[in-house]
Amino acid sequence: MRKQALMMSALAVSLALPMAAMADAQGRGAGQGQDRAEDGGGRGNGNGNGGDRAERNQDRGNPGRGAGNDREDRPDVVVLDVTRGGDDANGRGRGQGRGNSGRDDSVDRAVVVVRDDDDFRDVLRDLERQSDSERRDAVREFESRLDGRDLRVERDGDGRDYIVLVRDDDRHVIDGCPPGLAWRNNGCLPPGQARRLERSHYENWLWDRRDDGFRYNYANGYVYQTRQDGGLAGWLPVLAGALGLNNVWPQQYHYEPVPQYYSRYYGLGDQYNYRYADGVVYGLDPQTDRIQQVTALLTGQPWTVGQRMPRGYDAYNVPHAYRSQYRDTPDSWYRYNDGYVYQVDPTTQLVQAVIQLLT
Amino acid sequence: MRRIAPWAIAPIAALALAACNNAGGETGTPEPADQTLSAALSSDGEFDTLDEVITNAGLEAVLDGVGPYTVIAPVNAAFTGGDAAVDFTHAEMRAQGAELVRAHLLPGAVTREDLNAAIAHGGQAGASLRTMSDEVLTFTRDGDTIVVTADDGSTARLTGEEFLASNGVIQPIDGLLVAAGEPATQ
Repeated sequence: MRKQALMMSALAVSLALPMAAMADAQGRGAGQGQDRAEDGGGRGNGNGNGGDRAERNQDRGNPGRGAGNDREDRPDVVVLDVTRGGDDANGRGRGQGRGNSGRDDSVDRAVVVVRDDDDFRDVLRDLERQSDSERRDAVREFESRLDGRDLRVERDGDGRDYIVLVRDDDRHVIDGCPPGLAWRNNGCLPPGQARRLERSHYENWLWDRRDDGFRYNYANGYVYQTRQDGGLAGWLPVLAGALGLNNVWPQQYHYEPVPQYYSRYYGLGDQYNYRYADGVVYGLDPQTDRIQQVTALLTGQPWTVGQRMPRGYDAYNVPHAYRSQYRDTPDSWYRYNDGYVYQVDPTTQLVQAVIQLLT
Repeated sequence: MRRIAPWAIAPIAALALAACNNAGGETGTPEPADQTLSAALSSDGEFDTLDEVITNAGLEAVLDGVGPYTVIAPVNAAFTGGDAAVDFTHAEMRAQGAELVRAHLLPGAVTREDLNAAIAHGGQAGASLRTMSDEVLTFTRDGDTIVVTADDGSTARLTGEEFLASNGVIQPIDGLLVAAGEPATQ
């Protein structure tokens, strides 16, 4: 439940958002863009507010539904539902026209979904039925599936969506024992192997540094989460262990397909299928699902425009190639994280804008 | 740390030149080398052990890729001192080695100058930087030396010269930023 609330807070637009923008997004959809949109951007106008902003967001745009677009022109992000300021529970705004500045047009909440996401294809099919009741059912179905996703759709300062990959707090711990291991005396390992865990101070300490009430023990490629009473709470395959090169991806383990923006930023080709899990991008053999490459590491740290910069970014860290373009000034800081540069107010530490690093 | 490797001279010279020219920004942005982080770590004997840990864990592609990352790079001696006598290069220690590397990787390119500026701005609290293992390192100053402290209390000192790779920065340190914990009990 906590995770769902977290995801919804990320996906819901709680900041006051001009209704005009949302209405524009839904009404005009994908038909007005000039360039292929990035993830989260949809196909859009590419006409940011001012030269600098326009330059940053030149190939992004407002999300849109864009009925009638062919497959190539479809936006990547679909606005699934909008709750407008003053709407009651049954009267959710749909943005069928431009907002009127004379009434309360702020958007309290917008639910967006990534179109090319297998988990939500059926939700989108339901959405296209277009009746109110079915639409509400689709939204509810979408919301019920948000639990546990490591992908967020955030909204930049100009009302455009972008995608970030994050790390879930519980790392998607799996119940029971890993494949091939049976439950034995509150553990998944034979007594001999369990004793072997005590040999190295580092073997567990590398994972057992979290203050979350659990203990973490490593053995044979997996980390075991145990309660204080010693009972097994779950297990995780870990990087370079079960998730090591040439190993087959564990079927039960959660992952996210790598969104298009990250594919382009990290220069991912079509040699592998790429998956994201727990801060790592893996390249898998498309035929065998064996891990062939550990491609990139991410912090998975969520940044949200309008909110305070996360802890741990005190130093300027913009990539070499962008330093002359985005350097700290008394009015703005710039910080890099996971493929994006964020503009931060030095005084309030609030994140002011997100900058994509694709040319 | 032993004297700087020959391959590192060129970027340092470039750094000095760039600083003189004030080419990249207010304080001058040095030009990075052509080498990637992975290639640079492999070609400097001071990082033989770290390089082997990275290879053992299958992370070369990460440090050869776009990045950028800042490697807070333990020198060879850091792996043999005190309680740290654990062979992270052993085949059975791949996962531990990968986790160790994540705890020493920062997002983006953080130069020594950037660290100095952040520490100066942070005052006594120093500067906090997040790692790829989702923890925070704290950088403070002890005289002329920058000291880095992990959440678990382990500390190390920045040593030698930084290296600006094509996809990030290498900042050498003299210790590991993961403390040896209590022996496990299952």
